[in-house]
Amino acid sequence: MSEMKKIKNLKEFSTSADRFEGANLLCPGCAHSIIVREVLNATNDDLVLAASTGCLEVCTAVYPYTSWDASWIHIGFENGSTAVAGAEAMYNALKTKGRLKQPDRNPKFVAFGGDGASYDIGFQWISGCMERGHNMMYVVLDNEVYANTGGQRSSSTPIGSSTTTAPAGKVSYGERKNKKDMVSIMASHQIPYSAQVAPNKWKDMVKKIQHGMAVEGPVFINAVSPCTTEWKFDPKDTMMITDLATDSLVFPLYEIIDNHELNITYRPKNVVPVEEYLAAQGRFKHLFKDQYKYLIKEWQDRVDEKWAYLQRREEARV
Amino acid sequence: MANTGWDEFEIGAMLRTFEGEAGDIAGTLQEDRNYTQNSSFSASVADWRIEKPVFNKDFCIDCQFCWIYCPDMSIISRDKKMIGIDMDHCKGCGICVEVCPTNPKSLLMFPEKEEEEEVIAAWPAKEKKEK
Repeated sequence: MSEMKKIKNLKEFSTSADRFEGANLLCPGCAHSIIVREVLNATNDDLVLAASTGCLEVCTAVYPYTSWDASWIHIGFENGSTAVAGAEAMYNALKTKGRLKQPDRNPKFVAFGGDGASYDIGFQWISGCMERGHNMMYVVLDNEVYANTGGQRSSSTPIGSSTTTAPAGKVSYGERKNKKDMVSIMASHQIPYSAQVAPNKWKDMVKKIQHGMAVEGPVFINAVSPCTTEWKFDPKDTMMITDLATDSLVFPLYEIIDNHELNITYRPKNVVPVEEYLAAQGRFKHLFKDQYKYLIKEWQDRVDEKWAYLQRREEARV
Repeated sequence: MANTGWDEFEIGAMLRTFEGEAGDIAGTLQEDRNYTQNSSFSASVADWRIEKPVFNKDFCIDCQFCWIYCPDMSIISRDKKMIGIDMDHCKGCGICVEVCPTNPKSLLMFPEKEEEEEVIAAWPAKEKKEK
Protein backbone atom coordinates (compact mmCIF):
# COMPACT_ATOMS: atom_id res chain seq x y z
CA MET A 1 0.00 0.00 0.00
CA SER A 2 2.72 2.46 0.84
CA GLU A 3 4.36 2.18 -2.55
CA MET A 4 4.34 5.56 -4.26
CA LYS A 5 1.68 6.00 -6.91
CA LYS A 6 3.25 6.31 -10.35
CA ILE A 7 1.93 9.29 -12.30
CA LYS A 8 3.80 9.84 -15.54
CA ASN A 9 1.29 11.94 -17.42
CA LEU A 10 -2.15 13.43 -17.15
CA LYS A 11 -3.85 10.48 -18.87
CA GLU A 12 -2.45 8.14 -16.30
CA PHE A 13 -3.43 10.54 -13.52
CA SER A 14 -7.00 10.63 -14.83
CA THR A 15 -7.52 6.97 -13.91
CA SER A 16 -7.50 7.99 -10.22
CA ALA A 17 -10.72 7.48 -8.31
CA ASP A 18 -11.55 10.76 -6.57
CA ARG A 19 -11.91 10.69 -2.81
CA PHE A 20 -13.42 14.16 -2.66
CA GLU A 21 -17.04 14.33 -3.79
CA GLY A 22 -19.08 16.78 -5.79
CA ALA A 23 -22.12 18.68 -4.55
CA ASN A 24 -19.99 20.36 -1.93
CA LEU A 25 -21.04 23.99 -1.50
CA LEU A 26 -17.83 25.73 -2.65
CA CYS A 27 -18.44 28.54 -5.14
CA PRO A 28 -18.45 27.61 -8.84
CA GLY A 29 -14.87 27.95 -10.07
CA CYS A 30 -13.29 27.71 -6.60
CA ALA A 31 -9.66 26.60 -6.72
CA HIS A 32 -9.85 24.97 -3.27
CA SER A 33 -11.32 21.75 -4.58
CA ILE A 34 -8.87 21.61 -7.51
CA ILE A 35 -6.01 21.70 -5.00
CA VAL A 36 -7.67 19.18 -2.68
CA ARG A 37 -8.23 16.77 -5.57
CA GLU A 38 -4.63 17.02 -6.72
CA VAL A 39 -3.39 16.38 -3.18
CA LEU A 40 -5.70 13.41 -2.52
CA ASN A 41 -5.16 11.85 -5.94
CA ALA A 42 -1.39 12.00 -5.56
CA THR A 43 -1.53 8.95 -3.31
CA ASN A 44 -3.39 5.65 -3.03
CA ASP A 45 -2.69 5.33 0.67
CA ASP A 46 -5.27 5.70 3.38
CA LEU A 47 -5.68 9.26 4.56
CA VAL A 48 -6.44 10.91 7.86
CA LEU A 49 -7.53 14.46 7.13
CA ALA A 50 -8.65 17.51 9.02
CA ALA A 51 -9.63 20.98 7.94
CA SER A 52 -9.40 24.12 10.01
CA THR A 53 -12.48 26.33 9.81
CA GLY A 54 -12.69 28.15 6.53
CA CYS A 55 -14.43 27.83 3.20
CA LEU A 56 -13.23 24.28 2.72
CA GLU A 57 -14.52 23.04 6.05
CA VAL A 58 -17.92 24.69 6.08
CA CYS A 59 -18.64 23.85 2.44
CA THR A 60 -17.72 20.19 2.56
CA ALA A 61 -19.46 19.24 5.78
CA VAL A 62 -22.97 20.65 5.68
CA TYR A 63 -25.22 18.42 7.76
CA PRO A 64 -26.30 15.75 6.77
CA TYR A 65 -23.66 15.53 4.08
CA THR A 66 -19.92 15.06 3.94
CA SER A 67 -17.87 15.36 0.77
CA TRP A 68 -14.93 13.33 2.03
CA ASP A 69 -14.36 9.65 1.28
CA ALA A 70 -11.57 9.39 3.82
CA SER A 71 -11.36 9.81 7.59
CA TRP A 72 -11.90 13.51 8.07
CA ILE A 73 -12.04 15.53 11.27
CA HIS A 74 -14.19 18.64 11.60
CA ILE A 75 -12.38 20.90 14.06
CA GLY A 76 -11.98 24.51 15.22
CA PHE A 77 -10.47 27.49 13.45
CA GLU A 78 -7.00 27.19 14.93
CA ASN A 79 -6.37 23.52 15.52
CA GLY A 80 -6.67 21.60 12.25
CA SER A 81 -2.94 20.98 12.50
CA THR A 82 -3.00 19.76 16.09
CA ALA A 83 -6.01 17.48 15.44
CA VAL A 84 -4.03 15.66 12.78
CA ALA A 85 -0.87 15.72 14.90
CA GLY A 86 -2.85 14.13 17.74
CA ALA A 87 -4.24 11.46 15.46
CA GLU A 88 -0.70 10.75 14.25
CA ALA A 89 0.62 10.51 17.80
CA MET A 90 -2.18 8.11 18.75
CA TYR A 91 -1.57 6.01 15.65
CA ASN A 92 2.11 5.70 16.54
CA ALA A 93 1.30 4.81 20.14
CA LEU A 94 -1.14 2.08 19.11
CA LYS A 95 1.34 0.77 16.56
CA THR A 96 4.08 0.52 19.20
CA LYS A 97 1.71 -1.32 21.51
CA GLY A 98 0.73 -3.66 18.67
CA ARG A 99 -2.95 -2.81 18.97
CA LEU A 100 -3.61 -1.88 15.33
CA LYS A 101 -5.82 -4.26 13.34
CA GLN A 102 -4.01 -3.55 10.08
CA PRO A 103 -0.54 -2.28 11.03
CA ASP A 104 0.85 -2.35 7.49
CA ARG A 105 -1.53 0.20 5.94
CA ASN A 106 0.57 3.30 6.63
CA PRO A 107 -2.00 6.10 6.49
CA LYS A 108 -0.91 9.60 5.57
CA PHE A 109 -1.82 12.51 7.83
CA VAL A 110 -2.81 15.70 6.06
CA ALA A 111 -4.32 18.91 7.47
CA PHE A 112 -5.88 21.62 5.34
CA GLY A 113 -6.33 25.23 6.34
CA GLY A 114 -7.09 28.53 4.74
CA ASP A 115 -4.68 31.41 4.99
CA GLY A 116 -6.64 32.95 7.85
CA ALA A 117 -6.47 29.72 9.83
CA SER A 118 -2.77 29.26 9.04
CA TYR A 119 -1.14 32.67 8.79
CA ASP A 120 -3.07 34.26 11.67
CA ILE A 121 -5.31 32.22 13.94
CA GLY A 122 -3.66 28.80 13.88
CA PHE A 123 -0.12 30.06 13.55
CA GLN A 124 1.25 28.93 16.89
CA TRP A 125 -0.49 25.57 16.63
CA ILE A 126 1.14 24.89 13.26
CA SER A 127 4.44 26.14 14.58
CA GLY A 128 4.11 23.68 17.46
CA CYS A 129 3.35 20.76 15.13
CA MET A 130 6.34 21.59 12.96
CA GLU A 131 8.61 21.93 15.96
CA ARG A 132 7.48 18.65 17.55
CA GLY A 133 8.25 16.81 14.34
CA HIS A 134 5.00 14.94 13.70
CA ASN A 135 4.94 12.91 10.52
CA MET A 136 2.24 15.01 8.86
CA MET A 137 1.59 17.44 6.05
CA TYR A 138 -0.02 20.84 6.37
CA VAL A 139 -1.54 22.34 3.23
CA VAL A 140 -2.50 26.02 3.16
CA LEU A 141 -5.16 27.00 0.64
CA ASP A 142 -3.91 30.55 0.28
CA ASN A 143 -6.59 32.85 -1.10
CA GLU A 144 -5.14 35.89 0.66
CA VAL A 145 -8.33 36.89 2.47
CA TYR A 146 -10.89 35.61 4.98
CA ALA A 147 -13.22 34.61 2.17
CA ASN A 148 -15.63 32.58 4.29
CA THR A 149 -16.65 35.47 6.55
CA GLY A 150 -16.96 38.11 3.85
CA GLY A 151 -13.49 39.19 2.81
CA GLN A 152 -11.60 40.61 5.79
CA ARG A 153 -7.86 41.15 5.45
CA SER A 154 -5.53 38.46 6.74
CA SER A 155 -1.77 38.63 7.15
CA SER A 156 -1.54 36.97 3.76
CA THR A 157 -3.33 39.83 1.97
CA PRO A 158 -0.89 41.63 -0.35
CA ILE A 159 -0.35 45.40 -0.58
CA GLY A 160 -3.01 47.33 -2.46
CA SER A 161 -5.71 44.69 -2.26
CA SER A 162 -9.14 46.07 -1.36
CA THR A 163 -10.83 44.08 1.40
CA THR A 164 -13.85 44.76 3.61
CA THR A 165 -11.68 45.72 6.60
CA ALA A 166 -9.08 47.53 4.48
CA PRO A 167 -11.22 49.08 1.75
CA ALA A 168 -9.80 51.18 -1.06
CA GLY A 169 -11.17 54.67 -1.52
CA LYS A 170 -10.16 58.32 -1.55
CA VAL A 171 -7.78 58.16 1.40
CA SER A 172 -6.52 54.59 1.24
CA TYR A 173 -5.37 52.15 -1.41
CA GLY A 174 -6.55 49.20 0.67
CA GLU A 175 -4.22 46.82 2.47
CA ARG A 176 -0.99 48.55 3.49
CA LYS A 177 1.12 45.67 4.77
CA ASN A 178 2.87 43.12 2.64
CA LYS A 179 2.18 39.42 2.87
CA LYS A 180 4.00 37.23 5.36
CA ASP A 181 6.56 34.82 3.89
CA MET A 182 5.09 31.70 5.46
CA VAL A 183 7.13 29.15 3.49
CA SER A 184 10.40 30.57 4.85
CA ILE A 185 9.01 30.88 8.37
CA MET A 186 8.03 27.22 8.33
CA ALA A 187 11.32 26.17 6.74
CA SER A 188 13.07 27.92 9.63
CA HIS A 189 11.57 25.29 11.94
CA GLN A 190 14.19 22.99 10.36
CA ILE A 191 11.46 20.84 8.85
CA PRO A 192 12.51 18.43 6.08
CA TYR A 193 10.31 19.95 3.38
CA SER A 194 8.35 23.09 2.67
CA ALA A 195 7.14 24.20 -0.74
CA GLN A 196 4.93 26.58 -2.64
CA VAL A 197 2.59 25.04 -5.24
CA ALA A 198 -0.09 26.14 -7.70
CA PRO A 199 -3.00 24.07 -9.03
CA ASN A 200 -2.28 24.90 -12.69
CA LYS A 201 1.15 23.22 -12.50
CA TRP A 202 -0.37 19.87 -11.54
CA LYS A 203 2.75 17.82 -12.25
CA ASP A 204 4.95 20.02 -10.10
CA MET A 205 2.28 19.87 -7.40
CA VAL A 206 1.94 16.08 -7.47
CA LYS A 207 5.71 15.69 -7.36
CA LYS A 208 5.96 17.93 -4.32
CA ILE A 209 3.05 16.25 -2.53
CA GLN A 210 4.54 12.80 -3.16
CA HIS A 211 7.93 13.97 -1.95
CA GLY A 212 6.27 15.46 1.12
CA MET A 213 4.41 12.24 1.88
CA ALA A 214 7.55 10.15 1.45
CA VAL A 215 9.77 12.08 3.87
CA GLU A 216 9.67 11.47 7.60
CA GLY A 217 8.65 14.53 9.56
CA PRO A 218 6.46 17.58 9.18
CA VAL A 219 5.86 19.05 5.73
CA PHE A 220 4.46 22.46 4.90
CA ILE A 221 2.80 23.25 1.57
CA ASN A 222 1.52 26.68 0.54
CA ALA A 223 -0.91 26.47 -2.38
CA VAL A 224 -2.17 29.55 -4.18
CA SER A 225 -5.96 29.38 -4.46
CA PRO A 226 -7.61 32.16 -6.51
CA CYS A 227 -10.97 33.15 -5.03
CA THR A 228 -13.59 34.15 -7.58
CA THR A 229 -15.68 35.96 -4.98
CA GLU A 230 -13.04 38.04 -3.19
CA TRP A 231 -10.49 38.50 -5.97
CA LYS A 232 -13.45 39.49 -8.14
CA PHE A 233 -13.10 37.67 -11.44
CA ASP A 234 -15.33 35.38 -13.51
CA PRO A 235 -15.53 31.77 -12.26
CA LYS A 236 -14.35 30.51 -15.64
CA ASP A 237 -11.07 32.46 -15.33
CA THR A 238 -9.72 30.62 -12.27
CA MET A 239 -7.00 28.79 -14.21
CA MET A 240 -6.15 31.91 -16.24
CA ILE A 241 -5.57 33.87 -13.01
CA THR A 242 -3.46 31.04 -11.59
CA ASP A 243 -1.38 31.02 -14.81
CA LEU A 244 -0.88 34.77 -14.46
CA ALA A 245 0.10 34.37 -10.81
CA THR A 246 2.80 31.81 -11.56
CA ASP A 247 4.02 33.34 -14.83
CA SER A 248 4.28 36.87 -13.40
CA LEU A 249 6.29 35.38 -10.50
CA VAL A 250 3.90 36.82 -7.93
CA PHE A 251 3.70 33.19 -6.77
CA PRO A 252 7.07 31.67 -7.60
CA LEU A 253 7.08 27.87 -7.32
CA TYR A 254 9.92 26.55 -5.20
CA GLU A 255 10.77 24.08 -2.48
CA ILE A 256 13.04 24.26 0.54
CA ILE A 257 14.62 21.02 1.73
CA ASP A 258 16.01 20.95 5.28
CA ASN A 259 16.07 24.75 5.35
CA HIS A 260 19.20 25.03 3.23
CA GLU A 261 18.52 23.52 -0.16
CA LEU A 262 16.20 25.83 -2.10
CA ASN A 263 15.12 24.69 -5.57
CA ILE A 264 13.09 26.79 -7.98
CA THR A 265 10.83 24.25 -9.68
CA TYR A 266 9.20 26.39 -12.33
CA ARG A 267 10.82 29.06 -14.49
CA PRO A 268 8.31 30.69 -16.85
CA LYS A 269 9.47 30.94 -20.46
CA ASN A 270 7.83 34.33 -20.87
CA VAL A 271 7.59 36.31 -17.68
CA VAL A 272 4.35 38.28 -17.63
CA PRO A 273 4.38 41.84 -16.19
CA VAL A 274 2.76 42.02 -12.75
CA GLU A 275 0.46 44.69 -14.16
CA GLU A 276 -1.42 42.02 -16.15
CA TYR A 277 -1.95 39.94 -13.02
CA LEU A 278 -3.27 42.97 -11.14
CA ALA A 279 -5.47 44.11 -14.03
CA ALA A 280 -7.26 40.75 -14.21
CA GLN A 281 -8.69 41.11 -10.70
CA GLY A 282 -11.37 43.43 -9.34
CA ARG A 283 -9.67 43.74 -5.94
CA PHE A 284 -6.81 45.72 -7.55
CA LYS A 285 -9.05 47.83 -9.81
CA HIS A 286 -8.30 51.10 -7.95
CA LEU A 287 -4.53 50.74 -8.53
CA PHE A 288 -5.12 51.80 -12.14
CA LYS A 289 -6.39 55.25 -11.09
CA ASP A 290 -3.77 58.00 -11.55
CA GLN A 291 -3.63 58.55 -7.80
CA TYR A 292 -2.34 55.03 -7.03
CA LYS A 293 -0.51 54.14 -10.23
CA TYR A 294 2.90 54.33 -8.54
CA LEU A 295 1.95 51.21 -6.57
CA ILE A 296 2.06 49.05 -9.72
CA LYS A 297 5.72 49.87 -10.19
CA GLU A 298 6.36 49.14 -6.54
CA TRP A 299 4.63 45.80 -6.99
CA GLN A 300 6.84 44.93 -9.94
CA ASP A 301 9.99 45.93 -8.04
CA ARG A 302 8.98 43.86 -5.04
CA VAL A 303 8.30 40.78 -7.18
CA ASP A 304 11.61 41.18 -9.04
CA GLU A 305 13.47 41.56 -5.77
CA LYS A 306 11.89 38.40 -4.36
CA TRP A 307 12.71 36.46 -7.52
CA ALA A 308 16.33 37.64 -7.40
CA TYR A 309 16.49 36.65 -3.73
CA LEU A 310 15.20 33.14 -4.49
CA GLN A 311 17.71 32.69 -7.29
CA ARG A 312 20.59 33.86 -5.13
CA ARG A 313 19.46 31.51 -2.38
CA GLU A 314 19.18 28.63 -4.81
CA GLU A 315 22.76 29.16 -5.94
CA ALA A 316 24.21 29.71 -2.49
CA ARG A 317 22.50 26.64 -1.00
CA VAL A 318 21.83 28.39 2.30
CA MET B 1 -30.11 10.15 8.13
CA ALA B 2 -31.50 13.33 6.64
CA ASN B 3 -34.45 13.08 9.02
CA THR B 4 -32.47 12.14 12.11
CA GLY B 5 -33.21 14.31 15.12
CA TRP B 6 -30.55 15.84 17.33
CA ASP B 7 -30.97 13.10 19.95
CA GLU B 8 -30.52 10.28 17.43
CA PHE B 9 -26.98 11.22 16.39
CA GLU B 10 -24.19 8.74 16.59
CA ILE B 11 -21.83 9.85 19.37
CA GLY B 12 -19.27 12.29 18.01
CA ALA B 13 -21.66 13.12 15.16
CA MET B 14 -19.91 10.74 12.82
CA LEU B 15 -21.10 10.69 9.24
CA ARG B 16 -20.42 7.46 7.41
CA THR B 17 -19.90 7.81 3.69
CA PHE B 18 -20.14 4.12 2.82
CA GLU B 19 -22.39 1.21 3.72
CA GLY B 20 -20.65 -1.51 5.70
CA GLU B 21 -16.88 -1.96 5.60
CA ALA B 22 -14.99 0.30 3.25
CA GLY B 23 -11.58 -1.06 2.32
CA ASP B 24 -9.68 0.26 -0.64
CA ILE B 25 -11.57 3.43 -1.62
CA ALA B 26 -8.70 4.83 -3.71
CA GLY B 27 -8.92 1.72 -5.89
CA THR B 28 -12.72 1.80 -6.30
CA LEU B 29 -14.40 3.91 -8.95
CA GLN B 30 -17.44 6.01 -8.09
CA GLU B 31 -19.93 3.68 -9.79
CA ASP B 32 -18.69 0.70 -7.73
CA ARG B 33 -18.85 2.47 -4.38
CA ASN B 34 -21.62 1.81 -1.92
CA TYR B 35 -22.48 5.39 -0.89
CA THR B 36 -24.83 6.19 1.98
CA GLN B 37 -27.21 9.14 2.01
CA ASN B 38 -24.52 11.04 3.97
CA SER B 39 -22.16 11.40 1.07
CA SER B 40 -22.64 14.62 -0.83
CA PHE B 41 -22.28 12.41 -3.91
CA SER B 42 -25.94 11.49 -3.39
CA ALA B 43 -26.91 15.19 -3.39
CA SER B 44 -27.11 17.51 -6.38
CA VAL B 45 -26.14 21.09 -7.14
CA ALA B 46 -27.53 21.03 -10.68
CA ASP B 47 -29.88 23.91 -9.84
CA TRP B 48 -26.89 26.26 -9.38
CA ARG B 49 -26.26 26.25 -13.11
CA ILE B 50 -27.31 29.01 -15.50
CA GLU B 51 -25.20 27.67 -18.33
CA LYS B 52 -24.23 24.07 -18.88
CA PRO B 53 -21.19 22.62 -20.61
CA VAL B 54 -21.90 20.44 -23.65
CA PHE B 55 -19.37 17.82 -24.67
CA ASN B 56 -18.76 17.10 -28.36
CA LYS B 57 -16.61 13.99 -28.49
CA ASP B 58 -15.80 14.40 -32.22
CA PHE B 59 -13.16 17.00 -31.44
CA CYS B 60 -11.90 15.62 -28.10
CA ILE B 61 -8.25 14.54 -27.96
CA ASP B 62 -8.48 13.12 -24.41
CA CYS B 63 -5.86 15.48 -23.02
CA GLN B 64 -7.69 15.39 -19.64
CA PHE B 65 -7.13 19.08 -18.92
CA CYS B 66 -10.85 19.37 -18.12
CA TRP B 67 -10.61 16.42 -15.76
CA ILE B 68 -7.73 17.80 -13.70
CA TYR B 69 -9.04 21.38 -13.54
CA CYS B 70 -12.71 20.59 -12.86
CA PRO B 71 -13.41 21.82 -9.32
CA ASP B 72 -16.48 19.64 -8.94
CA MET B 73 -15.29 16.19 -10.01
CA SER B 74 -17.85 16.42 -12.83
CA ILE B 75 -15.71 15.31 -15.76
CA ILE B 76 -16.04 11.55 -16.02
CA SER B 77 -12.88 9.91 -17.31
CA ARG B 78 -12.56 6.16 -17.58
CA ASP B 79 -9.62 4.22 -19.06
CA LYS B 80 -7.84 7.48 -19.97
CA LYS B 81 -10.82 8.61 -22.08
CA MET B 82 -13.17 11.48 -21.34
CA ILE B 83 -16.64 9.99 -21.56
CA GLY B 84 -19.01 12.65 -20.33
CA ILE B 85 -20.11 15.19 -17.75
CA ASP B 86 -21.71 14.48 -14.40
CA MET B 87 -24.64 16.91 -14.58
CA ASP B 88 -25.70 16.30 -10.96
CA HIS B 89 -22.53 17.86 -9.59
CA CYS B 90 -21.57 20.38 -12.28
CA LYS B 91 -22.02 23.99 -11.09
CA GLY B 92 -21.50 25.48 -14.54
CA CYS B 93 -18.35 27.47 -13.76
CA GLY B 94 -16.97 27.05 -17.29
CA ILE B 95 -13.35 26.23 -16.39
CA CYS B 96 -13.45 23.07 -18.55
CA VAL B 97 -14.35 25.17 -21.61
CA GLU B 98 -11.56 27.67 -20.90
CA VAL B 99 -8.85 25.01 -20.57
CA CYS B 100 -9.98 22.94 -23.58
CA PRO B 101 -7.11 23.17 -26.10
CA THR B 102 -8.79 21.84 -29.27
CA ASN B 103 -9.92 23.92 -32.24
CA PRO B 104 -12.91 24.16 -32.29
CA LYS B 105 -13.35 23.49 -28.58
CA SER B 106 -14.85 20.11 -27.70
CA LEU B 107 -16.61 21.65 -24.69
CA LEU B 108 -18.77 24.78 -24.93
CA MET B 109 -21.18 26.51 -22.58
CA PHE B 110 -24.83 26.80 -23.57
CA PRO B 111 -27.91 28.07 -21.71
CA GLU B 112 -29.46 25.37 -19.56
CA LYS B 113 -32.63 25.15 -21.69
CA GLU B 114 -30.87 24.27 -24.98
CA GLU B 115 -31.16 20.70 -26.28
CA GLU B 116 -27.87 18.84 -26.42
CA GLU B 117 -28.46 17.24 -29.86
CA GLU B 118 -29.35 20.59 -31.42
CA VAL B 119 -26.25 22.44 -30.21
CA ILE B 120 -23.95 19.57 -31.22
CA ALA B 121 -25.48 19.64 -34.73
CA ALA B 122 -24.80 23.39 -34.94
CA TRP B 123 -21.27 23.19 -33.46
CA PRO B 124 -18.98 26.07 -34.57
CA ALA B 125 -16.44 25.29 -37.30
CA LYS B 126 -12.66 25.36 -36.93
CA GLU B 127 -11.30 28.85 -36.43
CA LYS B 128 -8.54 29.95 -38.73
CA LYS B 129 -5.40 31.17 -37.07
CA GLU B 130 -4.70 34.85 -37.54
CA LYS B 131 -1.34 35.52 -39.04
